[in-house]
Parts: sequence; structure tokens; C-alpha cells
Amino acid sequence: MTAVWRRISRGPRLLWRLQHMAWLALLAHKARSLFVVAAVAMGIAALTVIVASVDGARRKALEIVDFFGPDAVLVLGGDIENRPVGQRVNTLTWSDARAIARSLPGAYAVLPMRSVRAVTLKYGNRNYETATVVGATEDYAQTWNWPLAEGRDLSADDIKYGAKVALIGDVPARELFGEASPVGRTVLVKNLPVQIIGRLAYRGFTGGGSDTTVDDRLIMPISTLTQRFNLNRSYFRGLRVRFHNPELIDAHKDNLRALLRHEHKLEPTQPDDFTLLSASEILKFLTAFTGGLVAFLGVTAGVAILVGGFVLANLMFLGVSERRVEIGLRKAVGATSTAIMVQFLSEAVYLTLVGAVFGIGLGVALGESLSRLGMLELRLSPKIFVLSLAAALAIALVFGLRPARKAAALDPIEALRGGGE
Amino acid sequence: MTILAGQTGQAAGDEPLIRLTDLTRAYVMGGVSHTVLAGVNLDIAAGEFAAIMGPSGSGKSTLLHILGLLDRPTSGSYRLGGRETGTLGDDALSGLRNQAIGFVFQSFYLIPYASALDNVLLPGLYSSTPRSALTRRAMELLDKVGLTAQAQHKPSQLSGGQQQRVALARSLINDPDLILADEPTGQLDSATSAEIMELLAVINREAGKTVIVVTHDVATAGYARRQILVHDGRVAQD
Repeated sequence: MTAVWRRISRGPRLLWRLQHMAWLALLAHKARSLFVVAAVAMGIAALTVIVASVDGARRKALEIVDFFGPDAVLVLGGDIENRPVGQRVNTLTWSDARAIARSLPGAYAVLPMRSVRAVTLKYGNRNYETATVVGATEDYAQTWNWPLAEGRDLSADDIKYGAKVALIGDVPARELFGEASPVGRTVLVKNLPVQIIGRLAYRGFTGGGSDTTVDDRLIMPISTLTQRFNLNRSYFRGLRVRFHNPELIDAHKDNLRALLRHEHKLEPTQPDDFTLLSASEILKFLTAFTGGLVAFLGVTAGVAILVGGFVLANLMFLGVSERRVEIGLRKAVGATSTAIMVQFLSEAVYLTLVGAVFGIGLGVALGESLSRLGMLELRLSPKIFVLSLAAALAIALVFGLRPARKAAALDPIEALRGGGE
Repeated sequence: MTILAGQTGQAAGDEPLIRLTDLTRAYVMGGVSHTVLAGVNLDIAAGEFAAIMGPSGSGKSTLLHILGLLDRPTSGSYRLGGRETGTLGDDALSGLRNQAIGFVFQSFYLIPYASALDNVLLPGLYSSTPRSALTRRAMELLDKVGLTAQAQHKPSQLSGGQQQRVALARSLINDPDLILADEPTGQLDSATSAEIMELLAVINREAGKTVIVVTHDVATAGYARRQILVHDGRVAQD
């Protein structure tokens, strides 16, 4: 290898001329070159999509952690795992909330959650059925790390007096008001006139698997929601508990579980009648969801790249035997074995690099349509270009090496005898 | 330009351009050794026009391959321009083939996808001569063989005689001392053959190149001033 490098570095002029020869040869064998380019492009396209989707999934995960808060645990009524066997869901009560706030070490906020699904909002002559109306306590936006695009947050008085006010999510705001500001307007929520006091900023991600985005929501004081929608007043769908020292979140969860089991008077043999979710569990769920698709794409990309490599190797072997006379002649008139090898490897590199460029284009187009269909969250970064070009180079060097060496090792006499007559 | 020039200039007095001493070449095929050249002794001086003749199987092609540094002898010595070639490595031999020897083949061996001009340039591309000088020289050579108008033609657009003239121009691009022609008229009709042999004679006479032609055709050999007959791996008649 050092001998090769010495020779190459000694002859930059020869290297340049060999590149020229490589191009001439490629252009002279267009059909074969096209096959290799297409095969490599498939592999690189698959690689582009997978890298973009892995990056997209990671960004989405980070957003969710950010949104959920690393210091929060969500308590849901009923055990998700036992729900299918008919376990009751309404297990969380005001007394649980008070017990947690009073006696759980490290907890600094306990926020009850209630929600109503599929509620019709009406403004003027426009109707929109929003996915969720969420009942919340004061400082909703601040607690959920969800910035307000405009207006103000829910106040303690709003909760206390059951004010008929609401924060509006991006989706219903757009549906009802278009580009105009919704703040100060009055919307009919199931015939209850409610004044919009703030608009939540656009979040733009789905809750993991479902079609509804988190932006499709209306936030009202929990007291208002309970009174006006005749919800069962003693139970919550969920509680959000926030802790100091997020690094101790696992210990906090254990304490919370023990406390709730005690509150619910569960025997040691009985399963939990509630579910605890922290950011890490939500991440796990999300990873499992996207993981399947990523693994599938990964295998596809690997196979596609291998196929590209084999196509390259086979067509190069074919090319070497078809061009025996040319190779013999080149050696006869003074090409060294190294020069022949460099020329053939260069041909391979150009084919795969051109393939990579088409592959990236194809991959980006494919990724765009996949993310438009909502199957994947994609993130295109410069890393994709670097990775794809590196993969293309690797294909050329790994799969092109043996045919190039075969060409370099041809005996000129044999090669010339093989063609001629 | 030629790497042998200095050596031939000084060595011409005491040593010829080519000196073969007890040269043998044997192939092992199926465990049996085949002797193709059985002790060849031959001197060829700079500026000669020689024909190596002999029936097929006589070893004349093998002799040409060894003279062209495409093959190595099994034993014996081949001195080219006063320099022993047996001790040279493959890359040194490539360099010597590139600079000191021009090849002309029976089947022309032009690169099918390259123009006549690019074919003439080819050996030059493996040398260190600048591109502009190479192109200028290639056009001069194409002019000498009467193909200026066909410089951009592909080999498939040229007749056999024209293709061989391109090959002749190619053999001269690096200004070598020695031109080796292997049955250069084997695929041409007699009129075209005569043109090619005339050109080789001109190259020998006017450019002072040493020309060695391998042929079994008496008419072709007649252009050479010296006829060397090879028979059963030996020089039978000189």
C-alpha cells in the first residue's frame, strides 16, 4: 500500500490522466455504467431514508422529553396492561392527589388532569370538532413547557372561580380563526360560551401512532370543565406529579407507587390499579414504535447496498474480460499494474459516487413522501451526504478491488492473444 | 526523449542495441516442459531493419515478446542498449516498454471507444511528457501517416490499412529507439501491406529507428535489409 501511495504521489499527472481515461471508458460503456449507478443509487436511497428517519425519531424523542418534562411522572387511572380484562379506570381521586401533595417527598406540584374527547367548537358560522378538551390547573403553559404564541396563561383565579376561559391549540385556532388572532374572542364549546385568553405555540408532533396531533386541543380550567360537562367529580383520568431532583426520578416513582398502593389499600399480590409514566417510558414506547420501521429500513438498506456492490463487482468482472485486449495493450505500451488498477478502481469510484448522488436525491424524495404520509419523521442533515458518499466509496473499494486487481494482474501476452483474431 | 539514446550513442561502438546470449524459453504444460527457444544468440545493431521469419511454432512470436519485454527468458541474457534487462523489476520494464519500444500488432489493437488521435496519444499518457507537446506530436505523426482528416474518427470508422497506420503513429509517440512489429500485414491485402511496409521502411531510413518485423510472409520480409530465420527455437539462418 505504501508502494502504491508513493507511486501515486510521485505521479499526480499520471493520476489525473488515469481519471480522464476512466471517464472515457465509463462513457464508452453507458449501459453497463447505468446499471451500476442504478443499483448503487437504490442502496444509497435506502441508506438516506434510514439515516433521516433515525435522526427524525431522535429529534422527536427529544421534543417529547422536553414537552413532558424530565422531572415529571404521569399517573394514569387503571393499569394499561390490565385494561383489556375490564379493570376499572376511575381509580384516582382528589384524596390521592392530596396525599401525594402532602406526603410524597420531593414532589412539588400535583396537577390533576381531566379531558373530554371530540368536542365541537363553534365560532360564528364555523364548526370544528377538536380532538380533546383538557381540564387543567393554573400555569398550564408554564408547567408543560409549552410556550404561548400570544395571550396569557390560566391563572389561579380562573381555576378557583371556574372561569369560562380557554387556551386554544394551534389546530383549532387555525380552523376557526385562520390567520387572525383568537385572543379575546368567544367560542362556543358545546354551547358554553368561552373566552379565548391565549394561543399555544405550534408543537407539530403526534402522540405516537395516532393521527391526532397534540396541537388539536383546547385547555380550560379543570373546575369549569368538571362543572359544565357533568364529569364525575371525584375521579381523575390522570395526575401529573413534578419532582425536584429529576436525576432521582426512578426513586421518586418507586415512592409514588408505594404511596398509591397504600392509598388504594392494595394487597401485595394485587396488581397496580394505576400506571406510572415518566419521560423515559414514553421514549421507550416511541423507540419501540419507530424501531420496527428503522430495523426494517436498516435491513433493506444493507441488502440494497450489498446488491449494489455485487452488481458493481459482476459488471466490472464482465468489463475486465471484455476489455482484455485494451488492458493488454495498455500494459504493452507502458502502463504499470498499479496504473491499470488505479484506472479500474477510479471507474468504480465514479460509478458509485454518481450512484450516491442519484441515491441521495431518490432517498430525499422517498423520505419526503414517507413523512408526508405520516409514516416517518425525517430529518435531513449534512451527515446524510457524508455518510452516503462514504458508503459509496466503500462499495467501490470493497467490491471493485477484486476486479481491478484481476485487470492489473492480466498478462499482456495472454490478454492480447485472447482478443485479436 | 529516449532513455536509450545516451547509452546507445556511447555503447554503439562496442555493443549493439540488442544482444541476446544463449537465450532460452521453456513453458511447463501439464508437467511437461516445452522448449520454445533453445539457445538464441543474436545481435541487432541500432538502425537496422530486420525481419524475423519462420513457420508457426518456430518460436518467433516468443522471441518477439521477449524482445518487447513482455516476456522474460527462462535462461540467458538480453541486453538492450547495453543494459541487462533480466534484473529489472516489472515497473522498470513497463517504463522501458513505454519509452524505448514501439509496438505494432497484427490486429492493430486500437481502443475501440477512443478516437484515432487518442489512440496515438495513449503511450504518451503513461509518460511524463506534457499533454500539449503530446498532442502536437500526435498530430504531426497522423499527418505523416496521412490521417490528419481522420484524427477524430473512431477505429470502427477506419479501414484496416488506416487502423494500422494509426497504430504506426502510436508506436512513435514516445520517440522510441526500437519498433517491434508482429505480423503487421497479416490482416491486410497486398496493396495495403505494401503501404504499411513502405512506411516502416521510411521510419527506419529517415527517423533512424531500429525496426524488427516478425512475419512468415516472404514479401513482407523482403522490405527488411536483414532476414533472420528461426527454426525449432534457434536462429537457423541469418
